[in-house]
Amino acid sequence: MSGSEHMVRFEQVAKRYPGGIQALGEVSFDLARGEMVFLTGHSGAGKSTLLKLIALLERPSRGRVLFDGRNVGRISRHQIPWLRRQIGIVFQDHSLLSDRRVFDNVALPLVIAGVAYPEIRKRVRAALDKVGLLEKERMYPPMLSGGQQQRVGIARAIVAKPPLLLADEPTGNLDPELSAELMQFFVSLNELGTTVLIASHDLDLIRRLQRRVLVLKDGTLADDVPARQVAAP
Amino acid sequence: MSRRAGSQSGGVPWPGGMRAWARRHAYSLLSSLGALVRHPLATLMTVVVLAITLSLPTGLYMTLDNAERISDGWERLDTVSVFLDVEIEERGAMQLASLLSTWPGIVAVDPISPQAGMAELTGRLQLDDVSDRIDANPLPWVLEVTPAGGQDVETLSGRLRGAEGVDQVVVDLQWLERLGAILALLERLAILLGVLFAVAVAFVIGNTIRMDIHNRREEIRVLALVGATDGFVRRPFLYSGFWYGLGGGLAAWLVVELSLFVLSGPVGRLSGTYASDFTLASPPWQVVATLVLGSGILGVLGAWLAVGRHLRAIHPS
Repeated sequence: MSGSEHMVRFEQVAKRYPGGIQALGEVSFDLARGEMVFLTGHSGAGKSTLLKLIALLERPSRGRVLFDGRNVGRISRHQIPWLRRQIGIVFQDHSLLSDRRVFDNVALPLVIAGVAYPEIRKRVRAALDKVGLLEKERMYPPMLSGGQQQRVGIARAIVAKPPLLLADEPTGNLDPELSAELMQFFVSLNELGTTVLIASHDLDLIRRLQRRVLVLKDGTLADDVPARQVAAP
Repeated sequence: MSRRAGSQSGGVPWPGGMRAWARRHAYSLLSSLGALVRHPLATLMTVVVLAITLSLPTGLYMTLDNAERISDGWERLDTVSVFLDVEIEERGAMQLASLLSTWPGIVAVDPISPQAGMAELTGRLQLDDVSDRIDANPLPWVLEVTPAGGQDVETLSGRLRGAEGVDQVVVDLQWLERLGAILALLERLAILLGVLFAVAVAFVIGNTIRMDIHNRREEIRVLALVGATDGFVRRPFLYSGFWYGLGGGLAAWLVVELSLFVLSGPVGRLSGTYASDFTLASPPWQVVATLVLGSGILGVLGAWLAVGRHLRAIHPS
């Protein structure tokens, strides 16, 4: 493991999109290695933008975003893949390939890394088993429900065992029971050492899990509630 | 930071070495073939366009190649006219004719009398009564010498000039020189067309790949999201470009061979009327190899141009 005690660090980060829309302004916080943190706020508060800045899907307009001690904003185009392979991302829109089988979708990060096929097979099936979709491995994403597609996306995010997992509304399409189950799954990943940052507006669920909560409001950090202060419902 | 740092600081494997490289290449190769096979009609149409485009300069090249072989044959049919001194009479002319016919490098010697020469001349110039008005025929005896095949005509005419009783030696190579110049001109034209069509092939493939990229932009986006390098995204398209080029080159070869086959009958009949056993030659393997591999490389080039532009657009600036 490399040096920095912080997995992610934001230093007065601002993001302004072309056209003048200010998505984030002056956001600063730290995410410790091995921490599990929720990011909440009403829609349009800048949750997705914040996640995108970490994975360099967007570049900050001002300030510094550090990942594992490295300034993400100064990473060159050719080093972006290196960064992305350190981060598992669960996208709100799933971002699955509809013409590839579930198995092949989940296998993508391993294929890109050049892992041998028997190893890919083992790890993909383990990941699908964890999200409860092993029996769907030969299906195509459009044949699955929204919730199932979401879980395929999660399997893809964790299959390469990245040190950081980002999830944007991972329970958005799921019923409460499944949502709780999935959150518990993230908790277990975190307990195995993965740093987890989840954007969600499901406040009931967040309260129940009693983890640190970052609250975004109109692009600024309105509150940073430590885990011990999160009141159980 | 080096690539290997990725596997040290996190759980993501980034195995270096030849095997991972080979696995990624195998994946790209298979995925590019898969993409072409999934759309057989579109692939076929592109290959046909490429085949026609490539067969035009190749066909022209083969036409010239064959024309040069014919004209090589013609050079042998060329004759040298040996004008004798005016005072040499029929007997002297005949003696010299039989002497020359023993020279190596000479196939035949055909003596033409002054009377025959005058008749031919007046006939050609339509001056029927000229011979009546001239008291004495001013024309000398002429020997039409046919050089052997492979005999250098210049050397031969030099030796003929030195022979006793020879006044002038005339070699009429002008029309052959003109033919040679025309063929050289056409050859230059073929090269020019070849270059133009090569550029066209690169652009046709580039454009096809561009549409391919457009259809698969979601896939490219997702690949980039999960950490694919530019090379990994680019590679299947480069392979596709290569397959298009290779297929187009092979199909063009087929078109040229088919055309030669179709033309072989009429050409045979035509050369038969000249009592020649000339047949159309197929392109030699060097030409086929240049055509097929060259168009494959052009395909890679076209694909590279198309993908390069797109890759610059997918990452945030």
